[in-house]
Amino acid sequence: MVQVKYFGIIAEAAQCETENIAEENMTLSKILSDLSSRHSLGDYNFQIAVNRKIVSNLSEQLLEDGDEIAFLPPFSGG
Amino acid sequence: METKLPSYHHFPEDEMNRYIRQITLPQVGLSGQQKLMESSVLVIGAGGLGCSILPYLAAAGIGRIGIIDGDRIEESNLHRQVLYGAEQIGLFKAKEAADSILKNNSDVEILVYEEFLTQKNANQIFPDFDLILDATDNLFIRYVINDTCVSLNKPFVYGSIHQFQGQVSVFNYQGGPSYRDIFPEENQSAPNCAEAGVLGTTVGLIGMLQANEALKIILEIGEVLSGKLLIYDLLSNSQQVFEFGKVPERKKPEIQIPFEMISAEEAIQSESLLLDVREMGEMPAVHLENVKQLPLSILELESVNLDKEQEIKIFCQSGVRSRKAAKLLSEKGFQNLKLIRGGAKDLLQFAETEIKPNSKRSIVK
Repeated sequence: MVQVKYFGIIAEAAQCETENIAEENMTLSKILSDLSSRHSLGDYNFQIAVNRKIVSNLSEQLLEDGDEIAFLPPFSGG
Repeated sequence: METKLPSYHHFPEDEMNRYIRQITLPQVGLSGQQKLMESSVLVIGAGGLGCSILPYLAAAGIGRIGIIDGDRIEESNLHRQVLYGAEQIGLFKAKEAADSILKNNSDVEILVYEEFLTQKNANQIFPDFDLILDATDNLFIRYVINDTCVSLNKPFVYGSIHQFQGQVSVFNYQGGPSYRDIFPEENQSAPNCAEAGVLGTTVGLIGMLQANEALKIILEIGEVLSGKLLIYDLLSNSQQVFEFGKVPERKKPEIQIPFEMISAEEAIQSESLLLDVREMGEMPAVHLENVKQLPLSILELESVNLDKEQEIKIFCQSGVRSRKAAKLLSEKGFQNLKLIRGGAKDLLQFAETEIKPNSKRSIVK
């Protein structure tokens, strides 16, 4: 199971702060494109972190059971 | 206001006494206090974050503090901008914040800039400070702060909030990543406090974390949040630190097109064209005499009907489209473009208060 965490405006768009993805042997890029289309995240600016490390290359990395993906948008309030 | 900084070996007794409880910390000591007193910090924005940052920097004995903010105090600020009182509504935040923190520590030299940050004044002001604190509520100006800090090789402490969550990081610190390395896009939407809600304690806490990073950088203690993004969730009390991967090879900071931001108040007082780039029918409608509406979607086609020599002040709802419009017009050769901060809502608010009975301008609802 992979846990997905949404922050800031992305959590509002996804209408939840966390969700679990049961499917196994998924690549990061596949999960991201699925979530992006399901929650209509195409217009948002965000970074992706896997296990608390921001990944610049959204590759064919296979996600394992227990991995955590985070959607990190910039915040703008002050 | 400015005091001669004492040398390490003969600390004046009154200053020794004022700072004794922090000097007592082995990580601070007399040498740490000396570092604080010799340091200079620019705080950009005297809003919610700034009101939290500023009193702690002053109280700690930072030698020189700059405060830049072109905003005035509004009633709806008071629930979170706790340096101000109801009797100060309408006054410039930068000056009032300075007066407030001087009450705690009159030895601090304070430089007040009653203006909004622009690319132009950033280049003039930043060189006078060691460290920059970003306490703004504006996504776009953050790129101006970042790029100026990169070109001048100065670190900046970033803090921002979204509802009950806050982000803190330190950019451009000792060769570490810059804001642009993490968030390269600048054309996306993210609301600021004017639109999204905020609790005073959220900006208070995030601002204090920023002040804390500033003190650590100056004192050279602890682990600075460089190459890391802290996200603090105040509803769950959870803190998560995300590490940046390998910093990509630093691209040259993009040359910013220096669109000056002006307040709605300033815009209303001028005779020049106010260009509304919102789509037709968006509320609130602004029917001032010098307003022309050309929605962003047709601006490229319609720009032939605008005078390139004329000063054009652009507004929309939140500031995203007005910036896109300014870029578009700039590429078409328009030179004299300004952005109106606060958009239609602020403009309308000032239009209502500023219009005199005999004024040429009128407002129709």
